[in-house]
Amino acid sequence: MRRGLLPGLVGGLAFVLLAIGTPAGAYHTHFQYTCNSGYFNDNPVTRAAARDYAYVAAAEGYQWAGGCWNDNNRDDSPGDPPEDPNTLGEGGDCSGLTFKSWWERSETGDPWFRYHSAMQNTHGPYTAADFKYGAGAPNTTVAKANTVYMDAFASTYHIGMIYWANTAYNQDRIIEAKCEACGSGTWPRTYRGNPDFSGVRRLYWAG
Amino acid sequence: MKRTWRWPLAGFLLGGLVGATFLTVNVVGASSPTGPSKRAPSFGEILHTPPLLARAGKPVELSFGVVCGVVEDRPGENCTPHGEVFIRADGDAGFTKLPLEREADGLLSAVVPAGEARSGFDYYAAIDNGHGQRATLPEAAGAAPQHVWPLESWRTVDVGPPHFGESRAPSSVFAKFGWGGGDETLGLDSGREQSRIGPSAFDVAPDGSVVVLDQVNHRLVRLRRGHEPAVLPIDFAGGEGDLAVAGDGRIYVLEMSGKTTVRSFSAAGAPIAAGPLAEPVADMVRAGPNGPLVHAYPSEMWLPTGAARPPLTQAQQLRAAQPARSVGEGLGVVVHASAAEIELALVRGDRVVRAWILHGPTSFGEVQLVEPYRNGLLTVVRLWDEKHAEFRVLHLGPESLASSFAVAPGEWAETASLSRFRLRGDTLYQLRSSHSGAEIATYEIGGMR
Repeated sequence: MRRGLLPGLVGGLAFVLLAIGTPAGAYHTHFQYTCNSGYFNDNPVTRAAARDYAYVAAAEGYQWAGGCWNDNNRDDSPGDPPEDPNTLGEGGDCSGLTFKSWWERSETGDPWFRYHSAMQNTHGPYTAADFKYGAGAPNTTVAKANTVYMDAFASTYHIGMIYWANTAYNQDRIIEAKCEACGSGTWPRTYRGNPDFSGVRRLYWAG
Repeated sequence: MKRTWRWPLAGFLLGGLVGATFLTVNVVGASSPTGPSKRAPSFGEILHTPPLLARAGKPVELSFGVVCGVVEDRPGENCTPHGEVFIRADGDAGFTKLPLEREADGLLSAVVPAGEARSGFDYYAAIDNGHGQRATLPEAAGAAPQHVWPLESWRTVDVGPPHFGESRAPSSVFAKFGWGGGDETLGLDSGREQSRIGPSAFDVAPDGSVVVLDQVNHRLVRLRRGHEPAVLPIDFAGGEGDLAVAGDGRIYVLEMSGKTTVRSFSAAGAPIAAGPLAEPVADMVRAGPNGPLVHAYPSEMWLPTGAARPPLTQAQQLRAAQPARSVGEGLGVVVHASAAEIELALVRGDRVVRAWILHGPTSFGEVQLVEPYRNGLLTVVRLWDEKHAEFRVLHLGPESLASSFAVAPGEWAETASLSRFRLRGDTLYQLRSSHSGAEIATYEIGGMR
């Protein structure tokens, strides 16, 4: 009378695991489901305040085209396939981290300041190449020799902000969203002397 | 007859229910994002570039930046740090306190008078962030302080104008690779809005083989002339790292991303030990006389991590931290560089054995390599302007510049920041790259161009 129960059970189990489990496992964190839309316009802030803000992102994740992160000092969505915004992982990419850390506005003609919650999922309108060429009203280019902390070095593919200039070996500690496998951090780099990179600056700091 | 489908259907539904429950508990639950943190603010970080070398008879300024740890959305609630620096002149028993003054640029600074700095001194900073949290730098404070050596005599070296575009050709190309994941290629991690990262580091083993850290492919690649590359898979979390091969053939790998970690392997690539570094950031691992030494931040000290299993604990690393890189025979190498000049010294304890100061008409970049070489040093430094760069190889003899030549950067892909060169005997090795792949080039030391 109960003949067929066991094969049916195995079949049902296999169906659910294969049909639902496989795609669920592929993009499994969905970190961005916890992001928010918190921001407010603000008066100019200091470079120091901007560095404090950026420091929250250090040791968090990297997400291509992403824009929200917490502050638990680990990547909550490691190993996502790169260049896929649908992975919905934690972190900004290099230009997104710069945009938020520089308190910029999405309106490219508006140079004034906007505070973005760390958990606000926004990337901003600029790519690394846009920053490199000083695109947008808040941004300009500057000689690398004249850069100071919270200026940035940008190439056509990457941008990182100066966290602390001139280490003993004459590098700069850069705060950057580096790559999916790297996450975000404050590593010593040699972008200043690399011809691929140009100096860029956010204008109108309060000090 | 018509009831034969009932039990299979019931089984199918039951199996589906069990599977859905399993997925809910194990996949969705396990992967629930952390979301906003409710942690208390951390201290943040003390930032400091140690002067390390100072002209004898001159006061020494010590400056510290403070990054405030903030957690929630309260912009403008920055900390108001204040603190002291504790100084111990060479020969003194105890530390004396100097208050740190807040400068217009926000830095906290103190000036060590010339009299106290004359024969060198130890120091550490103790800073309160204004929120009741206090930190010291170096973290072990008086148990392993930072040090400043007095420069009483030195050789001044003018490196001359740059030779952008007129670099010396390599003596040979030891090995050449395309990009990829196969046995004949090295990994490249690149894309839009991220760094372009190739093999992070390499070193030359005592037997003359070259070991490359192909971290994108999670492996070491050992190269011997006349042999196929030998691939050794290793644990590596990703990102970038550094590598050093010791005199006994042991391989030390520094993982720079995530939790900074040092791993050691036998010459054959078998894992020996792995342990976390005591500081959050590092850029170099080098083989010291008693095991691996890691240049760590924010202290800019060299932390020993232990050659054996178990590795040193984080507390042991901090207590054994040294401001100079130990290179054997009681000697240490000290580097302090800026865009205007580079100071290099060989030291023994608190005494400077020999020192050089490099000047030139072009901005200096980073100091890529400094190694003892024939009664002096061999160093590789970057010269740059806004559009150009070269590496200058300098053999600094006891009395003068013995030889110098320029090397093209070949930095299409990123390596660990100070891991493009290694010295073995009279041969300088360079890891360089282009859009078509990476190669190990060699240069014989000597000559002036």
